[in-house]
Amino acid sequence: MPKVSYWKVISALTLTVFVFLGCKKGGEPVSDVIKIGTAGPMTGDQSAFGQDQQNGVRLAVEEWNMKGGVLGKKIELLVGDDQHDPKQAVSVANKMVNDGIAGLVGHFNSSCSLPASRIYNDQKIPMITHGSTNPQLTEQNFKGVFRACGRDDQQGMKAALFVIDDMKAKSVAILHDKTTYGQGLADEFRKGVEGKVKVTYHGGITQGDKDFSAVLTNVKTGNPDLIYFGGVYPEGGLLVKQARALGIKAPLMGGDGVISEEFLNIAGADAEGTYVTFAPDVNNIPSAKAFVDTYTKKYGKPGPYSVYAYVAANVLLQGIKDSNSTEGEKISEAVHKMKYEGALGSIEFDDKGDVKVSPYVIWQVKGGKWEQITK
Amino acid sequence: MLLAVFSMFLQQIINGLTVGSVYALIALGYTMVYGILGLINFAHGEIYMIGAYLGVIFFGIFTALGLTATNLPLSIVLTFLLAIVYSSAYGYTIERVAYRPLRHAPRLSPLITALGISIFLQNYVMLSQGAKDKVFPSLISGGVSIGNATVSYLQLIIMLTSLILMTALHFFITKTRLGTAMRATAQDKKMASLLGINVDSVISATFVIGSGLAAAGGVMIAMHYGLINFYMGYVAGLKAFTAAVLGGIGNIPGAMFGGILLGLVESFGAGYISAEYKDVFAFAILILVLIFKPSGLLGESLQEKV
Repeated sequence: MPKVSYWKVISALTLTVFVFLGCKKGGEPVSDVIKIGTAGPMTGDQSAFGQDQQNGVRLAVEEWNMKGGVLGKKIELLVGDDQHDPKQAVSVANKMVNDGIAGLVGHFNSSCSLPASRIYNDQKIPMITHGSTNPQLTEQNFKGVFRACGRDDQQGMKAALFVIDDMKAKSVAILHDKTTYGQGLADEFRKGVEGKVKVTYHGGITQGDKDFSAVLTNVKTGNPDLIYFGGVYPEGGLLVKQARALGIKAPLMGGDGVISEEFLNIAGADAEGTYVTFAPDVNNIPSAKAFVDTYTKKYGKPGPYSVYAYVAANVLLQGIKDSNSTEGEKISEAVHKMKYEGALGSIEFDDKGDVKVSPYVIWQVKGGKWEQITK
Repeated sequence: MLLAVFSMFLQQIINGLTVGSVYALIALGYTMVYGILGLINFAHGEIYMIGAYLGVIFFGIFTALGLTATNLPLSIVLTFLLAIVYSSAYGYTIERVAYRPLRHAPRLSPLITALGISIFLQNYVMLSQGAKDKVFPSLISGGVSIGNATVSYLQLIIMLTSLILMTALHFFITKTRLGTAMRATAQDKKMASLLGINVDSVISATFVIGSGLAAAGGVMIAMHYGLINFYMGYVAGLKAFTAAVLGGIGNIPGAMFGGILLGLVESFGAGYISAEYKDVFAFAILILVLIFKPSGLLGESLQEKV
């Protein structure tokens, strides 16, 4: 047996104790700032959404700080990058928890929010997502999970009704990107059209892939009136472009993950006519005018989810103020009780943490621009 | 009905050939370097990515200069050539900096620097060009219809250019002095240098040619899909490496054959069985080939060098 000197054992033990003490200390606020976090796809192919999110939250934090912060302390914003990768999201969540945040805005992608929500919930830290629409997220019975946007069951149903009643489509092909969000949304849409519209194809593609010609060739054989896509804009843009190259005339319809300026850049002229389900145009909401003006001055034109990130951050900070505490359970309780008046009008959360009213409307690309086409 | 079935079949062949010819172009770089150095150059996929970026950059410069508006074909050809030349310089530099100093080191060392260079290049492009996707404008639209199947002009260009490049490479390797020197070096480095071949410059030439081919693939893919990002080299490199192994690594016709085969397998697998398992088909066929013919489809069984 190798000889182990006592000093090595003792120093090892001492160090371990320090590590434990360090962990314990990290959870409690010791400084005179209040930290909140925001996490989403800050880099990678969905970074357009991540940047919109970061800007929205940052704007809210700056406004609160200008008014003197919250509970008499300045607010510090921590930004985490999950690169829309669920594994990365878990490690970002752990880091956020260790850094001692009082609450979090995010994550963006449902596939990230789901695993991360468990980590925040363990520490009772409230998390308000501004863009994760998968129903499962708020069905976990976590007290501290909130959603400032709508749900995919509502969104998929809205899309299905539009396809049946307004477009009077006879057949659809359904594609999804195999993620929690994309596949979930595609399934909800299918539930809505089942029995009323013929589904000529239903299948998945791989996120990050660039070549969809093989699957689109298959879609073409079924000759559908519409292609429904559950997924996000990089693949959405390539799908519509490659569909046109193969001579498919059917329009594409997507969920809220497709509505982005980047979609228009990627698909170019082929973007024309694409449908999307999303919340009403923020430019038409009177209460959002102040937000749109300041945001535009600071960061340029708001992205589709900027205002949701902004509102979610405001709700979180209001919760801290109302509960007069940085303890997660108390903040969550305050958010549940709150009736928040802000940029998106009045917002209230139900017992699950979903917003009580979440209207989805149909948007379409017209003349190279996204336009709201239904009320 | 029969026409529809046939059209779909034809369309899948066209799809497969397009992707496959790009895989083949990249696979050539892997296989040539392996043939000579016995090294898997994991940074090769990044050269393909850099080629695509250079395509976007040079095309942007020509657009700013106004050449694109006046003479589109010329600006495309120039973009293509410049991207190839510049990427070849990258290939040369990588070999000079990362592999040559380790020529006599254990085989594992250059493998690790290869991975290091790959990570470095990805992050270098991400930091200098931004993490967002870059969009390449659609330049050439339209195509030819055969029955219900469509070949776009761009797909034709990709297939033809790849064919020309591969034929040129074949003649270069078999007919020219440098090509002969390359084959000699691949057979036995020591003997080749005894016969007066400058092994170092032959190796440099291999990297330059391999990088040029990968960059050609990169620019064409950027034009075809119109969307590039800093990590596109990873999966493409992995697929091309698969193609090289499929055809028999170290074997040049094998890499071309492997690339085309891989493209077709993916396309047919995704079209007829399931698009969700597209990547699975590629790697499943690799495993099958490795089980039944470990040296690859066209590879000769290796003799131990004594």
